[in-house]
Amino acid sequence: MSTVAPPPALATQALVAGYERDLPIVRGVDFQVAAGELVVILGPNGAGKSTLVKAIAGLVPIHSGHAFLAGADITRSPVQEKVRHGLAFVPQTENIFATLSIQENLQLAADILPRRVQAERIAEVCDLFPDLAARRSARAGNLSGGQRQMLAVARALIVKPSVLILDEPSAGLSPKIVGEVFARLKDINAAGITIVLVEQNVKAALAIAHRAVILVEGELRHEGPAATLAEDPIVAQLYLGAAPAGQEEGR
Amino acid sequence: MNPQVLVDGLIAGAMYGLGAIGVTLTYSILRFANFAHSELLTFGAYAALALSSALGVLSAGLLAPIGPFSFGWSLPLAAIAAMALTGLLALAVDAVLFGRLRVRRSSIIVMVMASFGAALTLRSLLEFVFTSKPAYFTRELQIALPLGGGMRATPDQLLALAVAVLLVVAVHLLLTRTAIGRSMRAVSENQALAGVVGVDVRKVIRVVWLLGAALACVAGIMAGLLVQLRPYMGFDLLLPLFAAAILGGIGSVPGAMLAGLIVGLAEAGTVQLIGAEWRTAVAFVILVLVLLLRPQGLLGRPQA
Ligand SMILES: Nc1ncnc2c1ncn2[C@@H]1O[C@H](COP(=O)(O)OP(=O)(O)OP(=O)(O)O)[C@@H](O)[C@H]1O
Ligand SMILES: [Mg+2]
Repeated sequence: MSTVAPPPALATQALVAGYERDLPIVRGVDFQVAAGELVVILGPNGAGKSTLVKAIAGLVPIHSGHAFLAGADITRSPVQEKVRHGLAFVPQTENIFATLSIQENLQLAADILPRRVQAERIAEVCDLFPDLAARRSARAGNLSGGQRQMLAVARALIVKPSVLILDEPSAGLSPKIVGEVFARLKDINAAGITIVLVEQNVKAALAIAHRAVILVEGELRHEGPAATLAEDPIVAQLYLGAAPAGQEEGR
Repeated sequence: MNPQVLVDGLIAGAMYGLGAIGVTLTYSILRFANFAHSELLTFGAYAALALSSALGVLSAGLLAPIGPFSFGWSLPLAAIAAMALTGLLALAVDAVLFGRLRVRRSSIIVMVMASFGAALTLRSLLEFVFTSKPAYFTRELQIALPLGGGMRATPDQLLALAVAVLLVVAVHLLLTRTAIGRSMRAVSENQALAGVVGVDVRKVIRVVWLLGAALACVAGIMAGLLVQLRPYMGFDLLLPLFAAAILGGIGSVPGAMLAGLIVGLAEAGTVQLIGAEWRTAVAFVILVLVLLLRPQGLLGRPQA
C-alpha cells in the first residue's frame, strides 16, 4: 500500500447487506471509487445494485464489512448523518417529495446547512437548472418524469456533496431526456463531484463513465474501463445472459 | 330550527377540531391510528385540574375569576404545565411501547392494537387516581351573553372558540413556514427519503408527539371547562375526533378544524331535530360516509 496515495472517495470492504438478518443480498463486495471518478454499476435485474447503494447510504442494514467515505468509516453512521459527511444519494424511485413545492424540496435539503448560506446554495443550484428555477412554487408531484429526476439531482447537489450516488436516474425516461440527464451528470462530474451511477441503460452509461463494475447475484463479477467494457463480450454474457447485445437499449 | 344550535355546534366543533389536529398529525407522520390519543386528552385535563388546585392552595388569589371568565389565573398557568406533562407522557408511552414496535418494524395493525392497550391502561389508571365521579375546574356560574339573533354564549365558550382558532392558525403556520414543519411534512410523505435528505426522523417523531399531546391537553381542558371532567371524557370523544380527522383529510390541519366544526354542527343539529339519543350516531355516520364516498377527506390528498 502506498503511503502518500489519498484514500478513495468511496470504498466498501467485504460488504454484506440485506433486508433480513439471515438473507444477505449483497454478498461481500469490495468496491473503490477514486476522487473525481464517474463509475457505473451494471448488472441484471435483482442483482442487488439498489441494495448495495442503499446499504452505503444507510437505508439497508449492513450485516458485516465496512463502508468508507474519504477514508472515514461510515458503516454505522445513521442515514441522516451521511449527507452531512458529504454523501448524497438519489434513490431509484420516489426520490422527490411530491407533496412539497420545488422550492420546499430544495429548502429541505438546505436546512442542514448554516442559515446564512442556505439561500445562496439554493440560488446556485437553481442557476444550474433553469427549468426548475422558473417554477419554484409548483408542486413537485406535478413535474414530468425528466423534471423529477432533475429536481432529485438538484436537491442532492444543494449540500455540495463530495460523492453523489444515483440509482437508475434514466428509468422511465425517453431516450432524449436520458441524454439530457446524462449530459448534466457529466458536467457535475467534470466540476469535481465523484459520481456512482447504477444503470440498466448500459450504452448511455458507459458513454459518460470512466469505469464500470458488474454486479451479479450480489457479487462483483467484473470491472474495467468504460471504453473497453463497452466492446467486451463478457458484458453481454454476464449482464444479458444469452441474449445478444443491444437489447437493453430504449429501456 | 333554534339558532342556538349554531353556537352549540361551533363550540363543540372547535373542541373536536383541536383534538382532531393531534390525531391527524400523529396519524400522517407516525402512520398509525393512535387510539390512545383520547386518553392524552383526559390526562391533560386532569393534570391541569390537579395543578390548578395545587396553585389555588399556594395562593387563593390565583383562584379569583379573571374578568368575565369562570376561572382564575391558576388555570392558564396550570394549562401550560399540563401541556408539557402530557407531552412527556406521550414521549414515555412512545419510549416503552410504540418506539419498540417501530424498531421491530411491526405492522400497522399491531401498532393500533398496542394503542388500544395503552388507552385502556391509561384510562383505568386515571379512573383509579381521580375516581369516576365528575370533577370541575370551577364552580362559578356563568351568565350567557346574548350574541344577537337569539343566540347566546358564555365568555368561557367564546374564549374556547378563540383559542381553538388561534391554535389552528399557529399549527398551520408551523407546518407550512418553518424548517421543523417542512421536516414533518417530508417524514409524513416518505420517511426513508427524509432521512437521505438529512432529516433526523427520530427528532421529528418526538416533536410530533409533543405537539399532538399538547393540543390534546388543550382540547381536554376545554372539554373539562365547558362540560366536566370524567375519566371517560376522552374515550367519549374518540369517535368524533377520528371522524373529524378523516373527514378533514389525514394530514390536513385546516381540514381537521373544518371537519371538527362540521361534526359539531351536525351533532347539534341532530340533537335538535331528531333527538339527543342520536348524537353519538352522527360521528359514526359521517365516518362511514367519508370512507365510502371520499376516503381522502375534504382537504386531503388522494393516496398515491
Ligand atoms: N425492500 C425489500 N425487502 C426485501 N427484499 C428486497 C427488497 N428490495 C429488494 N429486495 C430483494 O433484493 C434483491 C436485489 O434487489 P435490488 O433492488 O437490489 O436489485 P437491483 O439490482 O437494483 O434490480 P433492478 O435493476 O431491478 O433495480 C432482489 O431479490 C429483491 O427481491
Ligand atoms: Mg434497482
